[in-house]
Amino acid sequence: MTAPSTGRSLADFTVELDVYSGPYEWLLALILKEELEIFEVPLRELVGLYAGSRDPEAANALDRDTDFAGSAAALILLKSRTLSPALEPEPDGEDAAAATPEELAERLQEYLKIRRAAEHLRDRLARAAGHYASAHTLPPKPGRLRVSGDRVTLAARRAFSRLVEPPVRHLGPITVTLQELAGMIRSGLFRGPVSYEALTRDMDRLRSAVAFAAALSLAQEGVVRLIQPEPLGTLTLEPLEPNR
Amino acid sequence: MEAVLLVSARPVRLDDLVSATGLSEGETAQALENLSARYSPEDSGIVLRAVAGGHVFSTNPACAVAVERFREEARPAPLSGAAHEVLACALYLGPLTRGSVSRVRGVNSDAVVRNLLERNLLAEAGADRDAPGSPALLAVTDAFLAAADAGSGEDFPPLNSLVSPEELARVRERLTSSEEVPDEKEG
Repeated sequence: MTAPSTGRSLADFTVELDVYSGPYEWLLALILKEELEIFEVPLRELVGLYAGSRDPEAANALDRDTDFAGSAAALILLKSRTLSPALEPEPDGEDAAAATPEELAERLQEYLKIRRAAEHLRDRLARAAGHYASAHTLPPKPGRLRVSGDRVTLAARRAFSRLVEPPVRHLGPITVTLQELAGMIRSGLFRGPVSYEALTRDMDRLRSAVAFAAALSLAQEGVVRLIQPEPLGTLTLEPLEPNR
Repeated sequence: MEAVLLVSARPVRLDDLVSATGLSEGETAQALENLSARYSPEDSGIVLRAVAGGHVFSTNPACAVAVERFREEARPAPLSGAAHEVLACALYLGPLTRGSVSRVRGVNSDAVVRNLLERNLLAEAGADRDAPGSPALLAVTDAFLAAADAGSGEDFPPLNSLVSPEELARVRERLTSSEEVPDEKEG
């Protein structure tokens, strides 16, 4: 018998990558928060690190393997989605035209310019980093702090008043229980198989529905077998324990 | 004016300075020049920067390590290459929709855009009413201009100047002379 999983079997797994060094769980959190770009994370290397740190004799080895496989699969999916081309169709059918080498060249040239611009921005932002503006923050204007008396009264009334009971008159009294109808089905099966239709012939809709639930419950317990040769056809209840 | 600039964490525009100080526009501009000389990066731990259409006092980057140590906070992690590309799209081609960004880059960019919106480097600036669903248009923010030490979008080199005509011609030639798409994006 294995110990119940705490859901954090990978808490002690740490990774050393070029882009990140630390607990694996934090890596996942950073990726999910998009603090770290998924396509900068080498998944193959990640799997190699896990395989290297794996202890098959550990008590929670199965939990760890399962959790890692699940999270690694999610990372692969996320990465593939991030890298997949945009699927939004061109409104005027430009996609078909874009298949020509001329159009592809146009697009690639445009992308090349953007890429160079991105490199320029990277250098520029790096040069400008380290400027910190005034930490002074203005307090709220006094007018904003005024609260009208009506709002205070309303808030107090809401805070201290009892909750209004929801109306339940339309529900009516409970007249039937699952146990009651399960007992009735057991009695009905005493003489052998019986159809659901025959069982519920004199019942109203509520009792019919509860009888169906009771039949499902008995089938799950192994007391009866439900036989329906064809979809929406006659449903027959067959007793599995004739002496019971 | 110095006092007004000191208490503002954001760039203050010239007309706001005129309004706050009661000086004329010419006097304000002259005072800004004097302040800029007094707070030059060579002589002062505080510098006066003309960014995002206004002026703002900032700490000198040369003192950044001491400031970060004092505030016990690390410098924000640098942006990824994808984020720089999205910002370049918004700066040079914007305002544009998320779909347009993805089309230019050739990959889905929604996650990167979301990250930049959270960092306040991108903002939604209106909507493309002609497109189905009126998607939001993205543009760079004043915070981006301040981070890039730019007064406005005009302070960046023209897009066409960033790639030489020869390089563009090579791309075209490689594509049009062969059916195979060269791997420019990964290179």
